Amino acid sequence: MNFFSWLQYDFMKYAFLAILIITPLFGLMGTMIVNRKMAFFSDALGHSALTGIAVGVVLGVNNTSISMVVFAIVFALLLNLISGKVSSSTDTVISVFSSCSIALGLAILSQGGNFSKYSSILVGDILSITPREIWYLFVILLAALAFWLFGFNKLLAVSLNRTLAGSLHISAVWLENLFAVLTALIVMVSIKWIGILIINALLILPAAAAKNISENMREYHFFSILFSVFSGVLGLVISYYTNVATGPTIVILASFIYFATYWWGSRYNV
Amino acid sequence: MKRNKYMFVLLMLLAITLAGGIFTGAYIHVDGERQQQKGIYVVTSFYPVYIAALNVTKGSSGVVLENLSEPQSGCMHDYQLTPQDMILLSKADLFLVNGGGIESFLSDVGKSYPQLAIVKASDGLELSGGENAHVWMDTRNYAAMVRNIAEALKQVDPANAELYQTNAKDYCEKIGKLTEEMEELRVETEGKPVVIFHEAYEYVAEELGMNIVYCLDLDEERQISAHEVAEVIEEIAQGEVSVVFAEELYGKDMGDTVETETQARVCYLDALVRGDYRADSYLSAMQANIDVLKRAFRSADK
Repeated sequence: MNFFSWLQYDFMKYAFLAILIITPLFGLMGTMIVNRKMAFFSDALGHSALTGIAVGVVLGVNNTSISMVVFAIVFALLLNLISGKVSSSTDTVISVFSSCSIALGLAILSQGGNFSKYSSILVGDILSITPREIWYLFVILLAALAFWLFGFNKLLAVSLNRTLAGSLHISAVWLENLFAVLTALIVMVSIKWIGILIINALLILPAAAAKNISENMREYHFFSILFSVFSGVLGLVISYYTNVATGPTIVILASFIYFATYWWGSRYNV
Repeated sequence: MKRNKYMFVLLMLLAITLAGGIFTGAYIHVDGERQQQKGIYVVTSFYPVYIAALNVTKGSSGVVLENLSEPQSGCMHDYQLTPQDMILLSKADLFLVNGGGIESFLSDVGKSYPQLAIVKASDGLELSGGENAHVWMDTRNYAAMVRNIAEALKQVDPANAELYQTNAKDYCEKIGKLTEEMEELRVETEGKPVVIFHEAYEYVAEELGMNIVYCLDLDEERQISAHEVAEVIEEIAQGEVSVVFAEELYGKDMGDTVETETQARVCYLDALVRGDYRADSYLSAMQANIDVLKRAFRSADK
């Protein structure tokens, strides 16, 4: 049997391309998200996809992807704004936002008992990848790379110490908003085939695994991207042969890596 | 120390690849045996169509009949094709579907495989209410579907045309016996009010000449609101409805509520969207449905 027989189908080619674009992206963004302790934030964003679709359905938009992306951006900006102003801790604010939007989404989508129509978005459907979505992903990859090259040091400075960053004339608010919007875009474009329930795992796990064994920033990014691409490609191939949803397979592999690196890190790294 | 770490990462990734490879290999080995046959590939979309095709192709050589990896729960309404389905369809010569909009993924299939012959078994049948596609629940419709399927098979495999013709005739005769029983039952049920908890039973009620006063479409993941429950119970009490048709899996809770709150009797019928893959399973399941109905009406009359 030819090992690459899975590449003869168009949908697998699209999926493979999408994985090749998105996993380095996830690895990269993951490091920033983990650094900034925003794991919960991207999780809430993922859940807001449900509300985004619901809003699209209510407004009668044909392509619910658009309403999903727009809603996620608004959601991310609003979340940033409010968490900066409210006195209770950020994770409380995020939790309030996230559960509010899930409730709203469920209420609208389950109206008339039709929720099953949307349940595929919970686990993701790999056949929903189209060439157009691959182009979107590619553009976002470029934007993220640009952001990473120009903004990374500043963002790191902000996350370490806001006052210090301010003294260097870095506008924390702008940077944070830009970052939130970028995260929202990535999550939304890939959520349809990865699934709401696990998209966050894909963002967080490779970075968290890399953090277990890295001693400096360069290693951290390198390992994060390596783990992300590795679990993405292998997960796709395994899911193809075993007829299992792709997103969960990838996440299972990534969690293996996390536990292995955790063991190694606690043993040899200080 | 540093080189150690890269070695560790390398070994870890290799180990995971190897474990994944072995696992996948074992899976393919178990699963792959049936994929080697040659012949005319006929793929059906789901259970009732598969059973009908199974009966029509009985005893034919060189025809491989496969069903899509259908969902374990519920109807095909919101089913999405899996990669395995796409592979199955890519080798198919004929794709038999129920039609009537129940296979919402059909347009995707048409786009991906423009060469594939897709035949709708419910062609030429009138859908109840214009859009209810559970046509197989009416035994007369089911017989028509069997004949449509035989026609389609004759087109792609003319060599076996005669066999398909006789198989279809035999099977339709057996279905005809069920139709007769339904007609006998109709004498008692004609014009009586009924409440149904699944769209599919519209066809049963129609075949029995019953008058549907309320349809609550309960299926997988359907969350009913408290208001709807109250509405149904009121409807049953007001309309003096004595029977309710429900599906055991999704209608049981609601059925129990109805039986405690009202005088109506709940008949749990098989909607025949899934079942075991024996050739006579449609006949036996439908017979069981008829027996349930008979018992319900006989006891309601006393």
